[in-house]
Amino acid sequence: MLPTLILLVVVVAFPLVSAMYLSMTKGSLMKTSGFVGWANYVSLFSNREFLSALRFTAIFAVTSIAGCYVFGLGIALLLQKTLPARGLLRVLFLMPWVIPSVVAVAGWRQVIGSEDALANLFLRAIGQNTVYFLSDDTWAVISVIVIKIWRSIPFVMLSLLAGLQAIDRSLYEAAAIDGANRVQTFFNVTLPQLKTVSIVLSLMMAIWSVNDFETVWLLTQGGPGYATQNLVVLSYLYTFKRSNVGLGTAIAIMTLVVLMVLIVMSLRQQRQPK
Amino acid sequence: MNRMTWYSRLSLSGVAWAAVALMNIPVMLVILGSFQTTSNMSSTAGVIPTSLTLANYETVLARTPFFTYLANSLTIAIGTTVLSAVLALLAGYAMSRYRSPLLTVFSYSLFVVQMFPVVLVLIPVFPIFRELGTINTPIPVIILCTVFNLPFVTWMSRSYFDSIPTEIEEAARIDGCSQLGALWRIVIPLSGPGVAVISVFSFLAAFNEFFIASVFLRTANSLTVPVGIQMFVQQYTTDWGNLMAGCVLMMLPTLILFFFAQRYIVHGAVTGGVKG
Repeated sequence: MLPTLILLVVVVAFPLVSAMYLSMTKGSLMKTSGFVGWANYVSLFSNREFLSALRFTAIFAVTSIAGCYVFGLGIALLLQKTLPARGLLRVLFLMPWVIPSVVAVAGWRQVIGSEDALANLFLRAIGQNTVYFLSDDTWAVISVIVIKIWRSIPFVMLSLLAGLQAIDRSLYEAAAIDGANRVQTFFNVTLPQLKTVSIVLSLMMAIWSVNDFETVWLLTQGGPGYATQNLVVLSYLYTFKRSNVGLGTAIAIMTLVVLMVLIVMSLRQQRQPK
Repeated sequence: MNRMTWYSRLSLSGVAWAAVALMNIPVMLVILGSFQTTSNMSSTAGVIPTSLTLANYETVLARTPFFTYLANSLTIAIGTTVLSAVLALLAGYAMSRYRSPLLTVFSYSLFVVQMFPVVLVLIPVFPIFRELGTINTPIPVIILCTVFNLPFVTWMSRSYFDSIPTEIEEAARIDGCSQLGALWRIVIPLSGPGVAVISVFSFLAAFNEFFIASVFLRTANSLTVPVGIQMFVQQYTTDWGNLMAGCVLMMLPTLILFFFAQRYIVHGAVTGGVKG
């Protein structure tokens, strides 16, 4: 354990402290100069790109958690039934999670990347207009969210499947004796029993979606304009492309603050008495 | 639940297979695209290919630095695997066998790492690795990949050690084995599948990693497969066929390893991610 602890201190604790200092300086990654105090943080709140990134990060987190939960639960319920070839089905459902993100995005480009991509062929076939998924602000946001949901469904599905299998069978028998129908059983037995795993899952999904760089960067690089820039992408841009390490680090620290708020909120939720 | 009629069973199966097919469309398009010429791909007004070719694979393997990328990826993946496995096994063992305030702090700090924005670590660490002259070498990528892998694999290894009864070690201790000796000679061999899964998981994570590698590796000779393939997109904008072939070549080891160990990876990911 000691080696790991040392590594954690070197790679996490030290960067945190030094990032706090860096976020109060100006200059580039090559040469920082001058202590400016809270100026970088103050300037963020009048920075339109930052406010837009904050908003997109929140929308991205909330919609992708909700989306992958709904689909993940649906597939988990489906796979819980004794279907033929259930093992094979499960492996195939895991594909979006297993493949590298570079491959996932390349695949999605074949679906939505151009006027002649699959989704547009389909839209035209049913008499709709061509959609420019990646160059229209709204569609770009929707596309990034859909792909994030698609990538996350398998993990949510697996965890919920494990949760479903842990539910005590006798609860269902009791519900049947009380004359509950399927829908009532689902809302009064299944969902409440999944509460703990669902809270932990939402927490993990919140962390992973707020910290997501690859989906956004590989698909849109934050564009068009700055429609799909999240905090991490913006922080990367300022630090490594625009040579403003102070602002970049300040944004990275704000990302951590957003996450901590989310985590404290969901832990409160978890501790609430029944 | 087992008294489903054949009719409902059939329709549920239908729904499941339709959902699987829908979800795998992007993957299938990559595979199909890799066997078509780029001009064919952009001109076909349909998805069903009219002719298949291996030309893309030939181009990628013979005329691009694919093997250099692959060698770099393997170096990073193997380095990360070895480092992660050693650290995770030692830490997981301690977490499974002892209780102390330090361990509690440690397990919290693992959780913190799990939520830490990678970019926040990259910024302060970048100048240090530059001073050390390690930019464009595998070293920073291996170290950072290991750190961000650790929460997952440590929890995984802990859950494996939890399943091994302590009596076996005690017997070894009585026979004169040291604590580390017992871990090395008795416990680790018994947790063979656990060690395998930790290794496979770390390997896959490092092999597929994009963000860290793209920050630290900038020269053509140092790129990994994911970063290198991404370069195809920018340099040869229209060469979709080559890109798809590169994607398939990159996906292949990932899929083989995953199918080989999927049962354990799934178990480990669920315990590592959710119980932590």
